[in-house]
Amino acid sequence: MTDLSVRTEDVWKIYPQEPEPVEAVRGITLEIESGDFVAMAGPSGCGKTTLLNMIGGLTDATRGRIWVGDHEMTRMSPKERARLRLDHIGFVFQAYNLLPVLSALENAEFTLLLRGVPAAERRRRVHALFDEIGLEGLADRRPGRLSGGQQQRVAVARAVVGEPALVLADEPTANLDSAASASLLDTMERLNREHGTTFVFATHDPRVMDRARRLIRLVDGRIESDERDAPVRPGETHAPATSTG
Amino acid sequence: MRALVLLRLAARSLGRNLRRSVLTAAAMVLGLALLIFSRALSDGGHEQWIESAVRMGTGHVAVQAPLHLETGRLEHRLDSSAVARVVGALDALPNHDAVRTWTARMSVDGLASSAASAVPVRIEGVDPLREASFSDVGSKLQEGRYLESGDRLHAFVGVELARRLELDVGNRFVLTAQSAAGDVEGQLVRVAGTFRTGVAELDEGLVHVPIETARSWLGTPGAATTVAVLLDTSLDTERVESQLAAALDDDDGIRVMGWREAAPDLDSAVRIDDYGDYIFHIVLFAIVALAILNSVLISVLGRRREFGILQAMGLTGAQTGIVVFLEGLLLTAASGVLGVVVGFLFTWGLFRDGLDFSALMTSDMSFSGSVIDPVVVPFFQPRQLVVSAWSIVIIGTVASLYPALRASRLDPAEAMKFEQ
Repeated sequence: MTDLSVRTEDVWKIYPQEPEPVEAVRGITLEIESGDFVAMAGPSGCGKTTLLNMIGGLTDATRGRIWVGDHEMTRMSPKERARLRLDHIGFVFQAYNLLPVLSALENAEFTLLLRGVPAAERRRRVHALFDEIGLEGLADRRPGRLSGGQQQRVAVARAVVGEPALVLADEPTANLDSAASASLLDTMERLNREHGTTFVFATHDPRVMDRARRLIRLVDGRIESDERDAPVRPGETHAPATSTG
Repeated sequence: MRALVLLRLAARSLGRNLRRSVLTAAAMVLGLALLIFSRALSDGGHEQWIESAVRMGTGHVAVQAPLHLETGRLEHRLDSSAVARVVGALDALPNHDAVRTWTARMSVDGLASSAASAVPVRIEGVDPLREASFSDVGSKLQEGRYLESGDRLHAFVGVELARRLELDVGNRFVLTAQSAAGDVEGQLVRVAGTFRTGVAELDEGLVHVPIETARSWLGTPGAATTVAVLLDTSLDTERVESQLAAALDDDDGIRVMGWREAAPDLDSAVRIDDYGDYIFHIVLFAIVALAILNSVLISVLGRRREFGILQAMGLTGAQTGIVVFLEGLLLTAASGVLGVVVGFLFTWGLFRDGLDFSALMTSDMSFSGSVIDPVVVPFFQPRQLVVSAWSIVIIGTVASLYPALRASRLDPAEAMKFEQ
């Protein structure tokens, strides 16, 4: 797997609105090491989703620079960013955001399909992953016929099946009950531990913050605090982190 | 590989939004079916006009001496050797099957006089047997009979002409015209029968006499002013015209014309009617295009989140636009095929024997020397079916461009905020 660290340098995001521009992200500088399991927490409107979207190249920074591995996201064309996302970045969204026209299996294999992975190999990888995360027997179901927890696990499967180096997860547990949240986080922790995938969460869910080895708190678009633990490398085990409050 | 993925996504989206897809397709199918129906009726009507007019006039293909069309004078005629060459060339045509029949005519303007009156007329010397299978005049018999082989001093006249000259069948009258020598010559003939076509200019001013009588009277042995050729359909005109011209070695003394050139009034009437149809079709296309644009655009606006996800997964903006474009393309292609089938079956199935417009006609309508038949039989031109189908596909494709452009320019992060 590609070793992808994330680095931002004085990143700003300003939305030109009337009567005054909105500064959603204000000069954030941080570095996330490859293989880390990081939560960016804060109240609604603190800029965590915007920062996540800028790291993933879904939206442009107004100022500053962002690197994902050796790629300077802020200098890449939309096409180059799309290619980088396809090859190296997985997304998990609060609202699952599965494609309603595709089955669970087709949703999960979508990035592999775009990468040109042969059908047999796609199916093998997705079925193995589905078995691993408790989705066996649900491959042919459309999203509308899955529970919230099942949909979110399909979304996680879609994000990680291509073995991306970086997974950006925006409020992945917001619509899930405690049991489903715990199960999902177990899955993601395991993927982080076993495959070395870097996970970056935008969340205000204490359950996610509890599991994170590094917690970055944002307030009004700025970093208020940054508490870190040692990142877990592939093959290592991880002791549950203590909540940093 | 990616193209197939995009195509599959587009097809799935159409299937998922089945009601919207069906409604949009229905608009296109209906539009195309209506277009085919309207085009087939229009072409059928034109074909009937042409058929009727060329039977009474110069045929689908007319062979004359140069300048005869412009002057109508006897000095511009085909002499006996030219007529023989034309007939030989007709018999040797490679697609002789397209030629239904032909007839040689000796036409001249003159005067018809009786004790009661004198009326300017168009005198046509015809071969009675050939003319009976060529023109409709013989079938419009009112009294007496049409000319027969062996007739010499007989004439077949319009009822209005007979009325003005106060002639009955069997009465004699005098035809006067300028002969080939330049002298004014008279010919006494007897009324064999009368006809009514419904076309005033024919009923009041056309006289048929045996061609041998005309040749002898006018001093033009073996000659003809026109060799008129009747084809299976007007679609064969250009091909037969060029083949006949080639067979005659582009002889400077012989002019081969299609009906458009030989009957410019008829050509103008058909063209003007066609322009009216085109305007109707443009309006129809515009309505169909707006229906497609509306449907696809609403679909795009309602699926912003979906497009945002696609781009988050690694699709570029352009590829997202292609998915939308392919949706429009698939929809129009399927609708195009279905529209042709529905249009053809509807038109042929219900109206193969013709659509009767007589309720809309208060009396005989005529133009360019022919009566408009109130029963219009649809006429399908393969080319028109293809053009109609392509037109709908092009319209659908063009109407999908703007929504595709909108989809390609979505900001994925903003798009994913959109509630579906």
